[in-house]
Amino acid sequence: MSTISTQLRNFKEPTKEQLTQLFFSLPPTLVDQAEQDGLEKMEINAIVSLSDDAEEDSYGGKLHLIPPYLSFLSVDHKSVRFTIPLCTIRRVEKLNARAGVYALSLALWHGMKVVVQLTSLRPTADLFCSLLRDALKAELQKGHMKLVKGFSKTCYSETLVAASSGMEENPSTQKLQQEAEQNSEGNETSYHGGLGLKYKFPGDPRRLREASKIKLWTKYLEKHGRNLTLLRYPQCTRLTQVGLPNRLRGEMWEVLSGSIYLRFVHPGEYLRILEENQGRTSTSTEDIEKDLHRSLPEYSAYQSEEGIGALRRVLQAYSFKNPELGYCQAMNILAAALLIYMSEEQAFWLLEVLCDRLLPGYYSPSMHGTLLDQRVFESLVQRCLPMIHDHFQEVDVQLSVASLPWFLSLFINSMPMIFACRIMDCFFCMGPKVLFQVGLAILKINGEKLLEIQDDGGFIHLMRDYFASLNESAYPDSQDPRSRAINRFQELLLISFREFSTITDDTIHAERRKYRSEIIYSIESFSKRAAVRNLKSLERFTKDQGGLIYDALYRAMCIAPPPAPVLPPPSLILGSNDDKPETRIGLKTFRVFLSEVATWARDEKIIVNGFQERVDREVAEHEFIDRLFFFWDTACRGALSFQDLVSGLDGVMFNDLMENIEWFFNLHDKNKDGYLTKDEVLTLSESFLFIFRYEVGDAYLGAISRFMTNAFEYGDTLLPRPEGEAEDSPPPEIGHNQPYLNLATFRMVVLADEILESFFETDLSASFRLEPVQLSDLPAGNVGFLGDLLSNLATDDNKKLFNRFTDQIGKTIGKHQVVHRPAIGRYKTLEEPKARESLLTPSMRRSPSKSTLSESSTITSVPSSVSISTDVSGQSTTSAPAGHETSPMTMVQTANAALMERTPFAIDDAKDEEEEDEDFFGDEDDGVMDEVDAFLEAHDNGLTQVERDVAKDLLNAKPVS
Amino acid sequence: MADSASGATDKSVQVKLVLLGEAAVGKSSIVLRFVSNEFQANKEPTIGAAFLTQKCRLEDRVLRYEIWDTAGQERFHSLAPMYYRNAQAAVVVYDVTKAASLEKAKSWVKELQRQANPNIVIALAGNKVDLVQPSASTSGTTSSESEDEADDATATPEETAGGEQAESLRQVPRDEAEAYAKEAGLLFFETSAKTGEGIVEIFTEIAKKIPIEHILASTRGAGRPGAGGRPGAPDGGVTLDENAAKGKDACNC
Repeated sequence: MSTISTQLRNFKEPTKEQLTQLFFSLPPTLVDQAEQDGLEKMEINAIVSLSDDAEEDSYGGKLHLIPPYLSFLSVDHKSVRFTIPLCTIRRVEKLNARAGVYALSLALWHGMKVVVQLTSLRPTADLFCSLLRDALKAELQKGHMKLVKGFSKTCYSETLVAASSGMEENPSTQKLQQEAEQNSEGNETSYHGGLGLKYKFPGDPRRLREASKIKLWTKYLEKHGRNLTLLRYPQCTRLTQVGLPNRLRGEMWEVLSGSIYLRFVHPGEYLRILEENQGRTSTSTEDIEKDLHRSLPEYSAYQSEEGIGALRRVLQAYSFKNPELGYCQAMNILAAALLIYMSEEQAFWLLEVLCDRLLPGYYSPSMHGTLLDQRVFESLVQRCLPMIHDHFQEVDVQLSVASLPWFLSLFINSMPMIFACRIMDCFFCMGPKVLFQVGLAILKINGEKLLEIQDDGGFIHLMRDYFASLNESAYPDSQDPRSRAINRFQELLLISFREFSTITDDTIHAERRKYRSEIIYSIESFSKRAAVRNLKSLERFTKDQGGLIYDALYRAMCIAPPPAPVLPPPSLILGSNDDKPETRIGLKTFRVFLSEVATWARDEKIIVNGFQERVDREVAEHEFIDRLFFFWDTACRGALSFQDLVSGLDGVMFNDLMENIEWFFNLHDKNKDGYLTKDEVLTLSESFLFIFRYEVGDAYLGAISRFMTNAFEYGDTLLPRPEGEAEDSPPPEIGHNQPYLNLATFRMVVLADEILESFFETDLSASFRLEPVQLSDLPAGNVGFLGDLLSNLATDDNKKLFNRFTDQIGKTIGKHQVVHRPAIGRYKTLEEPKARESLLTPSMRRSPSKSTLSESSTITSVPSSVSISTDVSGQSTTSAPAGHETSPMTMVQTANAALMERTPFAIDDAKDEEEEDEDFFGDEDDGVMDEVDAFLEAHDNGLTQVERDVAKDLLNAKPVS
Repeated sequence: MADSASGATDKSVQVKLVLLGEAAVGKSSIVLRFVSNEFQANKEPTIGAAFLTQKCRLEDRVLRYEIWDTAGQERFHSLAPMYYRNAQAAVVVYDVTKAASLEKAKSWVKELQRQANPNIVIALAGNKVDLVQPSASTSGTTSSESEDEADDATATPEETAGGEQAESLRQVPRDEAEAYAKEAGLLFFETSAKTGEGIVEIFTEIAKKIPIEHILASTRGAGRPGAGGRPGAPDGGVTLDENAAKGKDACNC
């Protein structure tokens, strides 16, 4: 049984616009919806200042209006960014400022005012304002503004801020404040939280310095907005890098990853999915059940029904939401970790963002994303740590044996939970590149020992020991107590972000682009091998031939995709798993398949137009092909599996003369009674006509007409006569659908004709040809990833365009010539073509002596498509490399650019942590921040002094009346 | 190489072994039973593959099994080559109460025979026999340290008869699987990770069949210049003490 999927070919590289949306974590469905509603996107240069807080600098950058969101990214791509749903903007005012300065003041729901100075030309700025107005109006009409209030109650940050300051920014905070003033258990229902609230969070809160972190965050959230309106200034990133406080962690993960926007716009969907699918079981739910008790079992909540139940619901809900992905082992670990810090609903949406955007393709049935990123990681190791890479090559150790789980379960399974969570903090804040940076740093730190390992096992052991020691001092022998206090985990993060800051999002994108086709190819050839291996019988074919049949089938499935199997997700991986339906193709796909393997099942036109000579191939349609389809469908399913095709082809490709005659006879004997009716004899003749339709000369036509004459003559003669009648009396009348001609007679008739005899002796079997299919020739190329490999001219459409163009010219100058390539090509009577040939002046021909037609004719009786394949490969090789060459260059450039930007970093900046005392908050806070300061890169706001002054000025400007 | 060896007992031969089979046939349980010295109540979830080691004494030398316990979920199939590459032994597990799992096992065997190390020793293990044994014999259920007792319960389940209900759960007859194993050249066992039945035997039989000298010769200079070569076995061949192999110390060092 084999399941074959062509899904991976549909991958499209994201456009620049999509990348921007991905970067700002915008939910694509909403953005598309807004676009359909006629709301336009726009980006504009801007300088952003925060009004209430003079401490923050102003930053220059790009403001993106992508309804229903407003996003900003500073010039240096890291200091400041935000994504604000338009419905959280309460008021927009145009500011009355110096001449020539165009500025807006945005009042946000949480009370802060953001001043945006649009630095483009006035008409552009005006346009931006009007688009913003339209988008805001649309949001107001939809009533989204009203949703904000209720939603923010679900966020812990509101409670936090309200409790600390008692500020009366809006009514909701006041209410929350009262709840918060009771104790923490009392308000559990108001905001979302994880299992940790009840079962305790991993780690010692004192050692984690929860209290001071909370204090710092509260201060930050007061001034910079929170949940939906969080503005990310450098401090936000720094605070994240020292580890989020446990109680706030869940919400910050949501905010930083952008899954909060999904939860916001899909209220109640999580529960609805659960309700609608209640009691439903699937392969995924079964798999989930097996893993529930193996997901962070050491955490007490997962020893209780409460924790297990939450985990089950989240994983099941996701598998119902995305049945194509379903459930993949490792998602259980992820979900279990998320649920400690966040509610089921929050975890559900974050899982969606993880599977869809942050770890794309990691958990899909083919796991192509996992394989791809392992390949990318290997390539980065080769580039950044060549010695380790070379050593691994030498002793044949595979990086993935250790690194695969790092990526697949975000280190949760590899290192102690408190540390894994801190990596997740950074991951959600700074994106997938973090995984690569940390991975590289792990290898670098263990470099010396890694150079001594000899096998996979040693590698695993070393890594295990290292992860177990993360809590220990990184410099136990240092004189300086502050150095001694730095533990190995801190060292790991420092090295990750200091030494590997050259690894950027762009690097990862470029590397993925570079290796994607390689990975897809290897997945496909793996499933091909498995499919061939899992055939019940290869019949008389060799493994290679089986592979060629698979290729033809695969190609046909790309051109004419069969209807998707109804139940479980399609999969590339093959197996005898009984819940996966075997891939079967319908008639439409079969026609394409057959056109790949049988010369008469395609219409091939050799076209010469004076510029080029090419072969246009089209899929033939004829009743004969349909007949073959049902003939091979021995199980009468109305569809053919890979095995059916192999067995079917086996039934005709290895036949001798007599077997072929019998095969052909049986093919037309519909009721299998051993007799053809008169109708069937006619159909059979039509089949002959179809097969011979492009043969040169009229020898075949003659043969068929002789066949028909003889068939009816013999048939009549051999009909059983009523008793007593003479042999030469006229034959009795029989119906058209009565048994008429048996195999023996048919054989006699066929053997009476030399042409038909040779057809059955060799030509029929030889008309089935298994030839290599060019990968780059696959049709999905013009829409999928191959389209990116081929240069513009080489896309299918363009090729067609080019062909039509040259044809036109050819016709104009009288050099256009079309000849059908014969399927058999045994006879080369050339009278007719010769006449056409005279159209060609000898000088125009590529080969001076022979005409193009006779050239192909002479080859035909052997492999007639030799010229095709060379043709095709010629086209693709010229075009393919173009795409390849560009990417490494850009990658190197970006890497270099990043290297130049790198800021100096001092490990000694981190201060002593041991002498902490929770009572002295002042000192304490400094201590926390020192670790962060190490990360603090002198952030460049990209502004000149003058611009800075203007921005400051604006903060005091009055609105235009 | 073997001849020059000192015969020191701490020298061990490293054997890479991979466990394959459909999800939930009990691969991890088999390993955990075998490696139970390191066993903790909480099973490590299998992501890609879990990696465990266990030393195993065979008369005069120590085998060190490096066990790769692969994830059973179908979509992890394409990762499997990473783990079975260079493996000297494989245990392909199926569930005697699930016919389809034997089919999957067969396809794993096929794959191993074509893609893996040509000298790989493959054992086929039909797990969960405790489910098809008469309830009387399983009444002792399973304290996880009861390997000794369990090892004694080696009688074939069919012959102990009785328990029609239990026997009806069986979907793969022993004969059928055994015949297949013989035809494909595999070691064959019916096991129960729950009771411990047949588990140690798998690893001892594999140890006997593995061309240890060959491994020794091909091991890179990892500071293991051959074990064995004791006076008792001057030809360097592996003589296994059958009794010791069955007993507790067989694989428990």
